[in-house]
Amino acid sequence: MEKEAIVSKLTVIFRNVFTSSDLILNDALSANDVDNWDSLTHMILINEIEVQFDIKFKLKELNKMKNVGDLIEIIQTKLM
Amino acid sequence: MIFTSLNFLLFFPTLVLLFYLTPIKWRSLLLLVASILFYLNLSPVYLLLLLGVGIATYSFTKAIANTKNEKKKYTFLMTNVILILLPLFFFKYFGAINNYCFSMLSQNGLHWPLPELKFLLPVGISFYTFVAIGYTIDVYNEEVEVEKDFGIVMLFISFFPLILSGPIERAGNMLPQFKNLKPISFDNITAGLKLMLWGYFMKLVVADRLGMYIDSVYNNIDNHNGSTLLLTTALYPFQVYTDLGGYSLIAIGTAKALGLEVMQNFRRPFFATSMADLWRRWHISLITWLTDYLYTPMAFHFRKYKMKGIMLALILTFLISGIWHGAALTFIFWGFMQGFYLCIELLTQKRRTTWEQKHNLNNNMFYLVACMILTYILFSASQIFGRAPDLKTAFSVFRKIFSERGNLFLDITTLSFAILGLTLVMLKDINDEFFNNKYSLFSSKIGAIRYSAYLTVLFFIILFGVFSGSSFIYFQF
Repeated sequence: MEKEAIVSKLTVIFRNVFTSSDLILNDALSANDVDNWDSLTHMILINEIEVQFDIKFKLKELNKMKNVGDLIEIIQTKLM
Repeated sequence: MIFTSLNFLLFFPTLVLLFYLTPIKWRSLLLLVASILFYLNLSPVYLLLLLGVGIATYSFTKAIANTKNEKKKYTFLMTNVILILLPLFFFKYFGAINNYCFSMLSQNGLHWPLPELKFLLPVGISFYTFVAIGYTIDVYNEEVEVEKDFGIVMLFISFFPLILSGPIERAGNMLPQFKNLKPISFDNITAGLKLMLWGYFMKLVVADRLGMYIDSVYNNIDNHNGSTLLLTTALYPFQVYTDLGGYSLIAIGTAKALGLEVMQNFRRPFFATSMADLWRRWHISLITWLTDYLYTPMAFHFRKYKMKGIMLALILTFLISGIWHGAALTFIFWGFMQGFYLCIELLTQKRRTTWEQKHNLNNNMFYLVACMILTYILFSASQIFGRAPDLKTAFSVFRKIFSERGNLFLDITTLSFAILGLTLVMLKDINDEFFNNKYSLFSSKIGAIRYSAYLTVLFFIILFGVFSGSSFIYFQF
């Protein structure tokens, strides 16, 4: 899947999880930049991404995700 | 030797002087020797235990890093975690489990005299155990490189400013700093001393005076009415904040004077607008530790159950946190209440956010202040379980607050100094929270104002501080 397609699918998920209709994703975006993105909503987000993309993350991968760029990279490797 | 002892007031300046006279390559060794001497002065018998934890952690982290076999890595990880948790469990819970078994046997008519073993909890055991576990998991998760120098690992685990009550630091922050200690800096020394001065003020003037009043009420609950208990309940969170927050500032300032940056432990908690926000501001080093090493693996494991899985992980994390605070039902209740509050917030979060956006409340000061007050009330209520000696007393406090009105018991001398000190602490927090530290007298460009501020705080500590050798609340954990 192309990066653009991943970003557009992720945008829908992010907007829904964080109740923010105008949220725009970029590689540097992290939990510090988004209201309500904390350790509780993060796991809802992860589960939603797994369901929508039909993938499974590993805990080690989760620990290494520091921003949206890292997240996209991991999704890309899983969809190859 | 604790931070409020005369020994420390001699030890610290001597160490700073020696630190700056020692060539850079020997400074980490000097810090290690100082940390060992500091611990030896507090708890000589248990120094062996601390060394044992250091040796085990050093050996198993190296073993984790040296093998490529995932199963072996996991075995090494779990072996070290269990090995270093065993002494903590033994010293913390053996007595309570022993007493429970004895009372259960007695209730059933069996009088089997179990050996009564009473040990003093080794000083700082919870904190250095958490530090060692965090480092082991970080090496396993490849978050940090394994440290090959045993002295550096031992220094990280036993670093004297942090060993007694944290902040619970991480290898990712501290190991590189210990390996590359900074050159002499007058700015670091003054910045560190300022933090220490404010920490001593919070502890000796505010926390200990509030503690005198709160202890006098809790030591005689039956003779106090609901009004007094309500005031005590309202003040207790401030006592814990100024006690652990004050301790943390002294620890952070001590490290800062030696050129080391340690994480913040409190961030103006009384301006939190929700319980989730409060736990991002209160005892930050413990909460982030629990989040990273307990909550996240559990929530990840339960994630297929969606919201229910996250709530289960939340409640379990806070229950474990409660049990860590003490082997008593009060702490289990305390933990459950925190988990319950956060679950309610999680369940209502979407609706609340939509409603707040619709009515444009995110920048409405009245709404935010109302949220802060509600958060403070919920937290204060839960702290009754953190302070009361047993569940019966805790429920009795709740009952009296709602049913018994009467004249307030006021110890005017103690309370007036405590409230005056607390007002200054809150004014500083307001300045930090809403004005980006703009009006700080400690940072004024005018020397006369700056030095007057230092002297005033010092004057307050000397005149109104409590120097009766009281300990810090978190030393017991």
